[in-house]
Amino acid sequence: MLIKLLKYDLKYMIKNMSVFYILSIFFAITTRLLSLPEQTVMIGILSKISSGCMIAMIANVVINVMMRSWVRFRDSLYKDEAYLTHTLPVTKNDLYNSKFIQTLIFFFIGFIIVLLSLFVAYYTPDTWLVIKDYIKTITTGFNMSPLFFISIAILLIFLELFNAIQCGFLGIILGYKKNNGKIGFSVLFGFIIYLVAQTLVLGLVFVYGLFDPTVMELFKSGTISINVNAFKILAIVASILYVVIIFSMSIIGKKLLNKGVNIE
Amino acid sequence: MEFTFENNIPIYIQLLDYMKIYLISGVFKAGEKLPSVREFATTFKVNPNTMQKALAELESMNLIYTERTNGKYVTKDEKLIEKLKDEYAMTLTKSYFQGMKRIGLGKADSIKYLERIN
Amino acid sequence: MVLLEVKNLNKKYDDKNVLKDINLKLSSGKIIGLLGKNGAGKTTLIKLINDLLTPTSGEILVKGNKIGVETKKAISYLPERTYLNKQMKVKEVLSYFEDFYDNFDAQKARKLLKDLDLDESQSLSKMSKGMQEKVQLVLVMSRNADLYILDEPLGGVDPATRDYILDTILSNFNENASVIISTHLISDIERVLDEVVFIDKGKIALHSDTDELRKNENASIDEIFRRMFKC
Repeated sequence: MLIKLLKYDLKYMIKNMSVFYILSIFFAITTRLLSLPEQTVMIGILSKISSGCMIAMIANVVINVMMRSWVRFRDSLYKDEAYLTHTLPVTKNDLYNSKFIQTLIFFFIGFIIVLLSLFVAYYTPDTWLVIKDYIKTITTGFNMSPLFFISIAILLIFLELFNAIQCGFLGIILGYKKNNGKIGFSVLFGFIIYLVAQTLVLGLVFVYGLFDPTVMELFKSGTISINVNAFKILAIVASILYVVIIFSMSIIGKKLLNKGVNIE
Repeated sequence: MEFTFENNIPIYIQLLDYMKIYLISGVFKAGEKLPSVREFATTFKVNPNTMQKALAELESMNLIYTERTNGKYVTKDEKLIEKLKDEYAMTLTKSYFQGMKRIGLGKADSIKYLERIN
Repeated sequence: MVLLEVKNLNKKYDDKNVLKDINLKLSSGKIIGLLGKNGAGKTTLIKLINDLLTPTSGEILVKGNKIGVETKKAISYLPERTYLNKQMKVKEVLSYFEDFYDNFDAQKARKLLKDLDLDESQSLSKMSKGMQEKVQLVLVMSRNADLYILDEPLGGVDPATRDYILDTILSNFNENASVIISTHLISDIERVLDEVVFIDKGKIALHSDTDELRKNENASIDEIFRRMFKC
């Protein structure tokens, strides 16, 4: 049943997101095309507009997935559509998981679209070399391989996004337990949960630091010479903590959902 | 034919009445197979359970009978239907005379009125 | 066979008791009218049976199961509002129902849609509210469910559609299933009801066989209801 739910959740997102994907790539292409001819003032202005639009669309590709996921979560679980959602012969866990996996998939698609757009608009062998050089400088400074650096950076970005999404879901579940001001409370609870999650990650890193002096140095103000390994360890520890927190939040969310809903 | 039902009389009793008229007027003849409960319910636009109840009542009056697996049939006993017709006619007549009595007309007067109808 | 059993059910909002100690047993093969004034608690009871509300206390069993996946397979529910995703076309909704409900009869649904002159390739957002409600009725009646729960199916429809709805209910109804119809328009439907449940101020005021009640009171259900609740 999860697969069936997912099928319709994905269909809905495709319907609503594809326009941003197309526009993002479209403006990437125009940006590239405008960089080809001789640069007159007119072309310069057009090029600026085009790249501006592309950046806006790229932002949309990420932010819209987030906003739509929240809105869809609320609409299908608590608004008129809930009359259908909650009477389907599926478990509440499947309902939750489907919404979460749907977001996950669309973050990946968004990520690929962003990379693709940037590549189409700006790629030249020279810029590639500059980026490569830049990454090399950072990674050698922190004693990481470039591959590790890129993977962990992407992983952390994704984990942060998933974390934010779940905070929103949990906020909605809690907000809609209230009799009045459901939306206001959803936002408020979501924000509080987000702060708590962030504090928890930071606090647990600190706790970890008590046992590992290389990480502890990060917390000491005024320290100039940080161990080259500190950031590497920090990144790994933070990733693991994020995974644990995201996992626990999803369990809490499903527990709350399973206790039952009250649809207006 | 459009069937109308009064909401203040049990529906099965009104169905029973319709069915009696069917039998008396020979819409369904002695020994003939009857449509199914569901078909009847669709024609009368009533709940099949109510139809079932009316048919059960007819059956208890021996006006119809059930042949295992084959469905329901009108009784083969034509005398029984004659008797039903007689009773029904009697009831109608009685109610006519009762109505006349209410406006102060006796039996003899009532019959005079009857004769005026051609 | 007992199809639906409600035991000591209570529902409170804030401090308001919307349902008070409801006990009810309904069996298969019946058309049951859930009758009450607006705000008497009909919809609350129905929503509790459909897992859209959580009881404050008490228990609901459908074919012996607590409310959950199994009971949702058994119940086909028509809410009083439009609940379909408006972005979908009618035929997409059909395949949606086919995907989720094993007992959904798509062929029957297509026939009913045709009867009602509804276009399968039309998007719901382009349909009037009345048309959307008809689509929902078709979907609900095309499931071979054990229990149909129709919340105010006759409110706001024209008399021709009203007759069609009643016909559809009657012709799809079988001895293994029961239908609960909630309404405040009693006179329109009382002739098809086997049983009536009167609900007033969150309590069950009466549960009786319809024809018995008519015989005993020598009046229509509508009249009896009006007498009881003086409206």
